[in-house]
Amino acid sequence: MGQLNLNTVQKFYGTFEVLKGIDLEVKNGEFVVFVGPSGCGKSTLLRMIAGLDETSAGDILIDGKRVNDLPPVKRGIAMVFQSYALYPHMTVFENIAFPLRVEKMQEDKLKAKVENAARILHLDQRLQQKPGLLSGGQRQRVAIGRAIVREPKIFLFDEPLSNLDAALRADMRIELAKLHRQLKATMIYVTHDQVEAMTMADRIVVLNAGEIAQTGAPLELYHKPANMFVAGFIGNPKMNMLPVICKAVGATGVEIEFQGQTATIPVEGRAGLVGQPLTLGIRPEHIQFGAADLALAIAPSVIEHLGAHTVAYAAVNGEGENFCAMLPGSAAIRTEETVPVGLKAADCHLFDADGIALERRLELGDVDMGLLKAGGV
Amino acid sequence: MSQPLMVNRYRWYELIGIYAGILAFLTFILAPFVEGFLVSLKPLSQLFSSPYRFIPQNGSFEAYRTMWVSVPGFARYIFNSFFISTIVTAVVLMLVVPAAYAFARFKFRGSGHLLGAFLAVNMFSGAVLLIPLFRLMRSFGVLNTYFAIIVPGVAFLIPSAIWLLRTYMMRIPRELDEAAFVDGASHFYTLRRVILPIAMPGITVVAITTFIGSYAQQFIYALTFNSKTEYAPLPVGLFAYFGRQEVIWNELMAASFVGIAPAMIVIFFLQRYLVSGLTAGAVKQ
Repeated sequence: MGQLNLNTVQKFYGTFEVLKGIDLEVKNGEFVVFVGPSGCGKSTLLRMIAGLDETSAGDILIDGKRVNDLPPVKRGIAMVFQSYALYPHMTVFENIAFPLRVEKMQEDKLKAKVENAARILHLDQRLQQKPGLLSGGQRQRVAIGRAIVREPKIFLFDEPLSNLDAALRADMRIELAKLHRQLKATMIYVTHDQVEAMTMADRIVVLNAGEIAQTGAPLELYHKPANMFVAGFIGNPKMNMLPVICKAVGATGVEIEFQGQTATIPVEGRAGLVGQPLTLGIRPEHIQFGAADLALAIAPSVIEHLGAHTVAYAAVNGEGENFCAMLPGSAAIRTEETVPVGLKAADCHLFDADGIALERRLELGDVDMGLLKAGGV
Repeated sequence: MSQPLMVNRYRWYELIGIYAGILAFLTFILAPFVEGFLVSLKPLSQLFSSPYRFIPQNGSFEAYRTMWVSVPGFARYIFNSFFISTIVTAVVLMLVVPAAYAFARFKFRGSGHLLGAFLAVNMFSGAVLLIPLFRLMRSFGVLNTYFAIIVPGVAFLIPSAIWLLRTYMMRIPRELDEAAFVDGASHFYTLRRVILPIAMPGITVVAITTFIGSYAQQFIYALTFNSKTEYAPLPVGLFAYFGRQEVIWNELMAASFVGIAPAMIVIFFLQRYLVSGLTAGAVKQ
């Protein structure tokens, strides 16, 4: 079993509050990704779960047992480090066997376990080599092997792929996802890369400045971000934010005014919004050629041709901020030539003055609702 | 492969300058050795001939044979020197390895002050403390023993050894300790299985400097705390060639060269462990 509960977990460095009371429940077998910008406290949180950093306040429970004061090995966790942390003087076999040697396991049992782990990770041919001879991806697999031989309840990964090059990272993502299915173990994975989060997680925990900004399934965060931070963090390129004024709140949604145009955005309104400035969020991939519910004219200053897409950056309202539009790969646009683009009201997000989202009334005919349910294991 | 890097390319006059500099310094360093060796080859009568000749006429290795005869205890002195240095090195390593690990890895109250104190101790030469040390040894009743030469030797070599090894150990990635800790290893297990093998080049450097240091510094302790010939190390033993009427210079020089030979051999073997790049592949740099 590998159930993890965090109850108002806090961390102080001196008087500086790094983590401001984290509450979280991770179910057995779940793949949870902590994601957030540098310095948001995600690595610290992982190290506290691991037992490498002390918890200032709050409780960490694994399978219902408080583990705050237990050393890592008694918590039933294993950790994979960003820098691999392999022992350079030992062979791959000895590296993987290290935790079992510490346990003083019998030689024949140990050998069977190490070989099994090596088979899972395709390291059979490398067992007698030293880490210095291995490629980055192989080294990382050895580090993972060292974690899996102990059969821990919970795996902790601290940015394990950030030292690999892009192609290898994509391969390892797939391998890790497979490994999770194969081992059916609870995995907690820290990354600053939202692509890793979106592709591997059952559930994503977005951290911002020591607090949980939102917890949810990848597509839930994409379609229904709870606030502007999550909206901006999830999705690449970033969501565009445009200032609008609320005109009316009705049964069908919230009517807004943008550059003299009005549109009704299908979100849950509430009293007291009328006349208030709001922020309209629109993802670059939801911008289309020609007018829709709202029309814009953009004169791109930079155009990136990616083949599948064309990404155009432009200033809107003469403001310096880059407005980004992701258009079809064959889009006939030139820099500094104004093109009309439009956005559909149904694709828009609305945020109040505090950056909190007004919940979208999503008609997700083409989205599997099961994927939106958090923790659908 | 054998092509020099761009930054290592020099013009001809730069090369001449570099080699001229090397030559000048090497002359200063090596001339005494060369002269010492030449003296050891000369018959005693030639040493004070005027005009002085650097190149020995009918030179021979005779002194290397007679030195054993005129000072019969000489082998014992070499053994003493070697023995004392070996014990000092072993004791220093046993104490310094765990200490350096602690200083490199753990935060504890006063660690900075302690390190500062070690540095301060290093500034005192042992000679300044000879008289207090002598009194101390006398009250313990350990004068005229190996112990009296070994203990101060160890004490004065520990500080620099700790500094050296601590710096080396700090370069070993902390993640290795953390990984071992997560896997359930105790601090001593981590030190033994993980840190020690990786720190081997650093430990070798410490062993060499300690051995040399002990070889060099034992003279002053042996002279002060020991008056028995059988415990005298090489530098003290060399005085035996100072006769009442004359100094047997050629044998003295020969004895000096023979005396440092064991140390040279030890260092030659230790140096094999000075392999760099032992941490390759530990962590992504």
